[in-house]
Amino acid sequence: MLKSRAAIAGIGATEFSKRSGRSELRLAAEAVFAALDDAGVAPGDVDGMVTFTQDTNQEIAVAREIGAGELTYFSRVEYGGGAACGTVAQAAMAVATGVATTVVCYRAFNERSGRRFGQPDARLGGQPTSQGLEMSWHVPFGLMTPAGWVAMFAQRYMHTYGATSEDFGRVAVAMRRHASTNPAAWFHGRPITLAEHQESKWIVEPLHLLDCCQESDGAVALVVTTTERARDLRRSPAVITAAAQGSGAGQMMMTSYYRDDMSGLPEMGVVGRRLWEMSGLTPQDIQTAILYDHFTPFVLAQLEELGFCGRGEAPGYLQDGGIELGGRLPVNPNGGQLGEAYIHGMNGIAEAVRQLRGTSANQVSGVRNVLVTAGTGVPTSGLILSAG
Amino acid sequence: MRTLTEDQVELGSALPELSIDLTPTVVVSTALATMDFTPVHHDVERARAQGSKDIFLNILTTMGLVERYVTDWAGPAAIIRRINVKLGVPAYAGDRLSFTGTIVSRAAGELTVEVRGKVSLGDHATGTITLTLPTAP
Amino acid sequence: MTDAPAPSTPDPASVDRELRELADKQAALGEMRGAPAADPVNAPMIRHWQDALGDANPAYLDQGVAPPAMIQVWTMQGLRQHAAKDRSPVDDTLAALNAHGYTGVVATNCEQTYHRYVRLGERLTPSTRFTSLVGPKRTALGEGYFATWNVTWYGEADEPVAEMMFRILKFRPRTSQGPSSAAPPSETAGSEAAKPQETGRREPYPLRPAVNADTAFFWEGVQQGELRIQRCADCGELRHPPGPVCPACRSTNRTHTVASGHGTVYSYVVHHHPPVPGRETPFVVAVVELPEGVRIVGNIVDCPTDAVSIGMSLRVTYRALDDELVLPMWAPGES
Repeated sequence: MLKSRAAIAGIGATEFSKRSGRSELRLAAEAVFAALDDAGVAPGDVDGMVTFTQDTNQEIAVAREIGAGELTYFSRVEYGGGAACGTVAQAAMAVATGVATTVVCYRAFNERSGRRFGQPDARLGGQPTSQGLEMSWHVPFGLMTPAGWVAMFAQRYMHTYGATSEDFGRVAVAMRRHASTNPAAWFHGRPITLAEHQESKWIVEPLHLLDCCQESDGAVALVVTTTERARDLRRSPAVITAAAQGSGAGQMMMTSYYRDDMSGLPEMGVVGRRLWEMSGLTPQDIQTAILYDHFTPFVLAQLEELGFCGRGEAPGYLQDGGIELGGRLPVNPNGGQLGEAYIHGMNGIAEAVRQLRGTSANQVSGVRNVLVTAGTGVPTSGLILSAG
Repeated sequence: MRTLTEDQVELGSALPELSIDLTPTVVVSTALATMDFTPVHHDVERARAQGSKDIFLNILTTMGLVERYVTDWAGPAAIIRRINVKLGVPAYAGDRLSFTGTIVSRAAGELTVEVRGKVSLGDHATGTITLTLPTAP
Repeated sequence: MTDAPAPSTPDPASVDRELRELADKQAALGEMRGAPAADPVNAPMIRHWQDALGDANPAYLDQGVAPPAMIQVWTMQGLRQHAAKDRSPVDDTLAALNAHGYTGVVATNCEQTYHRYVRLGERLTPSTRFTSLVGPKRTALGEGYFATWNVTWYGEADEPVAEMMFRILKFRPRTSQGPSSAAPPSETAGSEAAKPQETGRREPYPLRPAVNADTAFFWEGVQQGELRIQRCADCGELRHPPGPVCPACRSTNRTHTVASGHGTVYSYVVHHHPPVPGRETPFVVAVVELPEGVRIVGNIVDCPTDAVSIGMSLRVTYRALDDELVLPMWAPGES
């Protein structure tokens, strides 16, 4: 069993900006140094590295920059932001099985000043790889941006459950409220109202601009080691009580429109079942959750898939500040990717660790367990982290 | 304005010829008056890019000019029932479109005029137009 | 960078058969009502028309009627985008002809019958039916097909006021430059797909599908005006998007069925931002549910974006995006 065998011992990040002015490799190195310093671990102790397949910085390149020595484990996780918790899951497996002792998970990009994921790229459907062929059923019709892919689900969700754009807007309002009191957040001091959400321009109907997360430059790194060793390090460990990856039947990369249900996220259902099963916990045991929020509608679907509320009940769950600080389940106290920064979900894992340490800018009281999810609409992953 | 009556026309007789200078203004203004904004009727470069030597008359105008040719002759009391046109070579700006016509049939109160519209390349439009004229007062 | 579907070169007899079948399908649709005229019959447009054509006949405005040969003018698209339901059963056949290399076009016949003169203030509605496809014929311009359609204009009491038969020759140009200068194209007002500028080479559409041995049948079908759905030759399971193996029975014996071309909107989006190469915004993309039991993604065309809704009926249509690529798209269907 993987349960509680590994822990996150250190977190580190660069500043979050729109133009870092530095190379992605340099951002990676800076974040890794910060995480190692946070943990009190020397670069020479690092023997494992995990990142996203989308990251442009190879594990060996980061290892060279930070002055790590020999590596015994290096791995990549697929499917965009769906990889975030997966990097920690794989690092946990590596340390739990003794393949490595100190594994760094990192994600570094200039997503705003460099290649922007929200911009259409005609090459998406260009190659006859399995993914190119999958994209070829969508890209020729101009369905080729993450907002478009998600909007297709959102429209069906609205139709099935009678949800409205305002329900999505409540997520954006909550995230911006949280970000407004987080000094590290890009939108620090800049909350929004539901009316502003409704008035923001259409990106892909039914998504407004304020349903879409920002674009950011920056990097986040995490240090994963055994729980036993973590207890001897500088910081109190965030124990990995459960870690899971999940893909649904008939899964595609963002365009799973061909299976029975289009109003849920079956792959997140897989992750949720595994997390509850491995941890032995229930939604009542979670004091705060980090739910991947690249687009607002999927926060609703996640609340349902993870069992925080029933199918179609998320709009009601969100009412009256349900996911805001002080609400039923404070979600993304850092402001999430809508408010803090879009670092492909890795900044959310760092926030979960801060919540367990009691050091968040928007600290929720009495946090014992935090549930964290990764990219939605894609094969994904999740964690339950607990105070150790 | 003069208007013909049924008794004034004779089978086999010819209509007076009508000749129209196809200035670019004619080609463009008629295209726009018929709500046809296809570039080949107003944009010389686009017309040439697709192998035409210049902008040319659109079909809606050809139909209208055939009608005008016959009503110019028959007068305002004529009622046009049918226009059947076979289209030939294009009528380019700078060319001249000349209409000739002959009365070819007279049956059940309907008169049929055979019309031919020629340009320098050959027949632009040939066909028939069927109309009725008022009876003599 | 792209793997565009290879231009299909099936034997001429099968091309001919496919074109005829498509034409028969289009003809079987019967008369399809277009959008009413943007403006009622009106004096300013008549005066402008008479001035431009040099027609001094005073009878029209004196009596409050329009020159009969103006009939088509009232329902011309002008510079406006495609309006609601302004679709025609002609477009699909012309797209298929383009796809098979019959990209040249000349109009050959225009016949109009006027049941009565239309009056000022009347708003006309056109209705189009595809009548026939005849060919292939050898012509002076090259081998081609004659396509014929009929338009009827209706007055406000739904009575026919005028009719038109329109015939064009769609031919295979002898050179890639389009028709020779000795026989330049004429014009075919009334059908977007047959406008003469399409006789020239079109800008390549940038959003091309990748195609491989597992998916080529679909794109070849589209080129021929067929919506092909993969069917397992052993267990009969239908599957879209297709793949090399039947997940139900492991068979690799694949065949396909030709979908009826009907569908309903299962979900949809309206894309506004950011700009998409080769596309004008906003445009609609939908997940379309087919009565055959599979879903497929495509654009909804010939329909205002705010008129699209989940559950709405659609029918497939085929649009040539450039000289090679044809995409299946969806227009509002009869419900």
